[in-house]
Amino acid sequence: MSYTIRIQLLGLFVQVAVVVVCCFTDIETGPGASVSLQTNGDRFKIEGRAIVPGVKTQDWVSAARVLVEGEEYVGFLRMDGSFAVNDVPSGSYVVEVVTPTYKFEPVRVDITSKGKMRARVVNYIKTSEVIRQPYPLQIRSVGTHVYFMKRETWGWTDFLMNPMVMMMLLPLLIIVLLPKVVNTNDPEMRKEMEQSMNMLNPNPELPDVSELMTKLFSGSKGSSKAGSSSKGTRPAAKRR
Amino acid sequence: MTKLVLLCLKCIILCSTIEAVFEDQVGKFDWRQQYVGKVRFSHFDIHVQSSKKVLLATEKNVFAALNTRTGELFWRHVDKAGPEGNIDALLQHGQDAVLVIGNGRLLRSWETNVGGLNWEVVLDPGSFQSACLVGQQDTVKYMAVQKKTAISLHYLSNGHQRWIENLPESETVDYQAVYSGGNGEVYVLGVVPHSHITIVAYSVDDGEIIKQVILNYSTPWLSSIRASCTVVGQGMLTCVDSATASFYMLDLHVQPQMTQISLQSLGLDIYPGFRPGLLSTQPNPARPPLSEFFLQLGSEHYLLLQLNNGQIVSLRDFKPAMLASFATTGEKTVAVVMSPKNRTACSVNLFSADTGRRLLDTTLIFNIDPNGGKPEKLYVQAFLKKDDSVGYRVMVQTEDHTLTFIQQPGRVMWTREEALSDVVTMEMVDLPLTGTQAELEGEFGKKADGLMPMVMKRLCSQLILLQAWTAHLWKLFYNARKPRSQVKNDVTIENLSRDEFNLQKMMVMVTASGKLFGIDSKTGNILWRHYLDNIPPNAAFKLMVQRTTAHFPHPPQCTLLIKDKDSGLATLHVFNPIFGRKSHITPPALPQPILQSLMLPLMDQDYAKVLLLIDDQFKVSTFPSTKNVLQQLQEMASSIFFYLVDSSQGKLSGYRLRKDLSTELIWEVIIPAEAQRIVSVKGKRPSEHVHSQGRVMGDRSVLYKYLNPNLLAVVTESTDLHQERSFVGILLLDGVTGRIIHEAVQRKARGPVHVVHSENWVVYEYWSTKSRRNEFSVIELYEGMELYNSTAFSSLDRPHAPQVLQQSYIFPSSISTMEATLTEKGITSRHLLIGLPAGGILSLPKMFLDPRRPEIVSEQSREENLIPYSPELLIRTEWFVNYNQTVSRVRGIYTAPSGLESTCLVVAYGLDIYHTRVYPSKQFDVLKDDYDYMLISSVLFALFFATMISKRLAEVKLLNRAWR
Repeated sequence: MSYTIRIQLLGLFVQVAVVVVCCFTDIETGPGASVSLQTNGDRFKIEGRAIVPGVKTQDWVSAARVLVEGEEYVGFLRMDGSFAVNDVPSGSYVVEVVTPTYKFEPVRVDITSKGKMRARVVNYIKTSEVIRQPYPLQIRSVGTHVYFMKRETWGWTDFLMNPMVMMMLLPLLIIVLLPKVVNTNDPEMRKEMEQSMNMLNPNPELPDVSELMTKLFSGSKGSSKAGSSSKGTRPAAKRR
Repeated sequence: MTKLVLLCLKCIILCSTIEAVFEDQVGKFDWRQQYVGKVRFSHFDIHVQSSKKVLLATEKNVFAALNTRTGELFWRHVDKAGPEGNIDALLQHGQDAVLVIGNGRLLRSWETNVGGLNWEVVLDPGSFQSACLVGQQDTVKYMAVQKKTAISLHYLSNGHQRWIENLPESETVDYQAVYSGGNGEVYVLGVVPHSHITIVAYSVDDGEIIKQVILNYSTPWLSSIRASCTVVGQGMLTCVDSATASFYMLDLHVQPQMTQISLQSLGLDIYPGFRPGLLSTQPNPARPPLSEFFLQLGSEHYLLLQLNNGQIVSLRDFKPAMLASFATTGEKTVAVVMSPKNRTACSVNLFSADTGRRLLDTTLIFNIDPNGGKPEKLYVQAFLKKDDSVGYRVMVQTEDHTLTFIQQPGRVMWTREEALSDVVTMEMVDLPLTGTQAELEGEFGKKADGLMPMVMKRLCSQLILLQAWTAHLWKLFYNARKPRSQVKNDVTIENLSRDEFNLQKMMVMVTASGKLFGIDSKTGNILWRHYLDNIPPNAAFKLMVQRTTAHFPHPPQCTLLIKDKDSGLATLHVFNPIFGRKSHITPPALPQPILQSLMLPLMDQDYAKVLLLIDDQFKVSTFPSTKNVLQQLQEMASSIFFYLVDSSQGKLSGYRLRKDLSTELIWEVIIPAEAQRIVSVKGKRPSEHVHSQGRVMGDRSVLYKYLNPNLLAVVTESTDLHQERSFVGILLLDGVTGRIIHEAVQRKARGPVHVVHSENWVVYEYWSTKSRRNEFSVIELYEGMELYNSTAFSSLDRPHAPQVLQQSYIFPSSISTMEATLTEKGITSRHLLIGLPAGGILSLPKMFLDPRRPEIVSEQSREENLIPYSPELLIRTEWFVNYNQTVSRVRGIYTAPSGLESTCLVVAYGLDIYHTRVYPSKQFDVLKDDYDYMLISSVLFALFFATMISKRLAEVKLLNRAWR
């Protein structure tokens, strides 16, 4: 299947052989296009303070920045965690404190043309909704960034808590314990049980416990098998 | 209700299955290099004797502190790019460093130990001229900032303004410099060009003008104080003029009188046409400058002079000398001179500043890299040794923005290639096979010459392989005995070879300074560098791989097209991407401006792809241009189309190649330039493979994708930037026929627009002015339920217009750049790699940007695994491929397929460079690196024994039953 499609694609390239190559004219997308709309000289200052509870400021301030609306305006943190972003014209901005380690919630700051400030919770969906926040900003860290996934580790408890295993172990217990509870010395009872056992297990040669075990293992290790089976395709990939 | 719960569950499952980095993978296959940019100002931290810090302020608006022992960053502050973050001056006093930023708009004081901000103040608008520290009675408490029309004095401790004064007659006088000698006065030096000098002295205490001197003496030769004057000794303004070949001296404290000293009286000659320069030093801002100074007479001629009671004494003549500088430690000041030694090396020597005597044992050898530039600047860190003599280290900055830190007698402690802070374009090239592998490959390439020799050859090559394998085993064994830290896995050009899965490649990077780099993608080591020294300042670059490493014994070949943006004239640089050497093939000279360049899928007899160049006369030239190529080209001419973009006139035009290699205009699309301008035109990547031609729907029918390889996505922005009327337009058009496939307009939106165009979809991001947020929009094109002519795609024969689906989403951050992952066969699902301003690179599954995401979930959509529509896309930090290794100012993301279908190689470049691998559909074709070999083998063994035992038991049981 994949081969036919590749051939098709190849044919597509050869037959049409239309070459449309990325242009070499001087068009570049980039942040350079952002034009400052503000022409009058009224520029304001966004002030605030970032706090990481329980961590000394000098341990994290040197890696932190205050970004206003992306990188349109940039501020830095003072040694005590306070900051001021200067030269911001009136408008509405999302202010966020970024560090590689600590996470801060962004805040929307509105500046009127007269310089009145207001801070509110960022809501991108209901943009006009106002939930006030203190101004000058008090931005508290909400913890550290989580960058990593936990590895799936294999432990006996995970294995035992597996519903499959539970389903298997319970009948086993019953099988082992029931003869103890029921009086097995009674020959009639014994006969009856043997009969029922034979009905359950038509082929006495194969112990069904082992069968279950193998089934279980082949089931839980299905992904690894798939991984090893794809090994076969590897030399083909290498050739290319 | 249950449906909703199910849905949520599904969503969670989908989210959790998405690939992320595991903590133990950190640094395994990713690396980051941090840069600062071309250094503009640099100060060594001389405050503490044993300091190992150097402060750098760069043209990239970065302020950083480096460790002088290792060259690594202590901290770095990246300001806004552009003129508003431009660093005008750097003053250092003690622990603090004060920066003047944005043409004198801001003053910022940094604490240099931790890298925290002390204070920041806004200054009044005005064009910045100069700044200096002002001392009084041996303590430095203030700094003066002089602008075109005003001077202000600020406290160093908190930035508060002590006073500000307007400069008198600032309409006529061009005030250029400020000077303070520590006597309670601040002098502002101005010049009326070609007329006279004006000096105003202010009192430090209250800003009162103590005196204002307008020099009667006419100075018609003087146009710039900064270029030709300096203050020397006890406030002696010294200027040098090349026309009259004389010094002019003026005592700032005493009288408005200028004395002229002719250079000839000192026995000196000036080189005709050379503008002489002066260099003095003021080690302590609270004291006047030293009376010794350098005079540069020619490009390689320096003089150390001394001002002695109004007389100038020549202390020493340095000829030839490339660079000269002063350095101070404690109370001692030395002159440092770099002079050429031979063609490949320079020597640096120390001289006593007061006598000009050479200090013994202070020679330092600096080897000039033949692939680098000439030395440009010299930064000296002087220190007192235990025996009270002066020792030093130098940081040499060369034309290619490289910083080299050297210790006596010439040991290079570190090198920083700051050119890499400005990578313009890059390519990843496969590494060559090893010699033995190449030998094997070569065997098949040769013509058959009989049965026996072929057998012999085969045996020989097998023997060689065996030999190589045993050597490899021996090496493994040998290395295993040594502790791990000692095993050096240095990659050098000699032992470069392709690995099993082609994961290691050569990154060829082109920087704006014109320096080319070859970087090993596995380790990040720079394997070769090559400086092109004749690059115009605003050049555009385009890098093309003409021949890959697959055509042994022909060497791989890359071609760099360098185009001057002003004149349009272009040159070609042909080189070998593995070794960086310039190719012996001489590229054709291009006398005409080049409009367009394209790589054709044609190859010449040496397997080099053909590069087609179209000049402004619409004439076509090829490289290589052998007869064979021209013949092939003529045969294929009727199917070669190209397009041109003229963004100033808003014109897109398509051309066709004729048999005689002339061109013919076949279509034209005009986008009215008054209303909107073309921002970008994106085609598809030619190397892209699409595996599946359609999507299987919930009802088992197939929706075929519209896979037009000639589709162009044209993005326009309105010229009207008013937030009610601005819009962003997107136009999908066929590059061959000019047919407009689809057109979409986002009202109340503006750029910057970032576009990714791949397969049958276009994703773009813009700023919505109405809701003040960033939005993503995705357009997908489908042919419908059946495919028209499924064997080949032809733009000329597609009667049905495709179905267009579009959906938009809110994105909670602005973005810097965007690119899509790319894999070998295109089977793996696609992710979008999004560079965020905060420094993260987000790997967003394309699944979330799918216009078929339903608003109301149905059985069918669930069958298709569609995620229900939600307006907001999430940024999860688990999706950051670079975890906490933030990448500043990402300009571009380059993706390349590897030999493994699951793996895509990613390079993000900007101020920093970051390389990693991503697995958009997880690693389905190799065992995971946490694969539990122990578990699987123990289970296997256990099972084996269990069967053995149970078999035995069963036998016994059977036997017992038989006995019964």
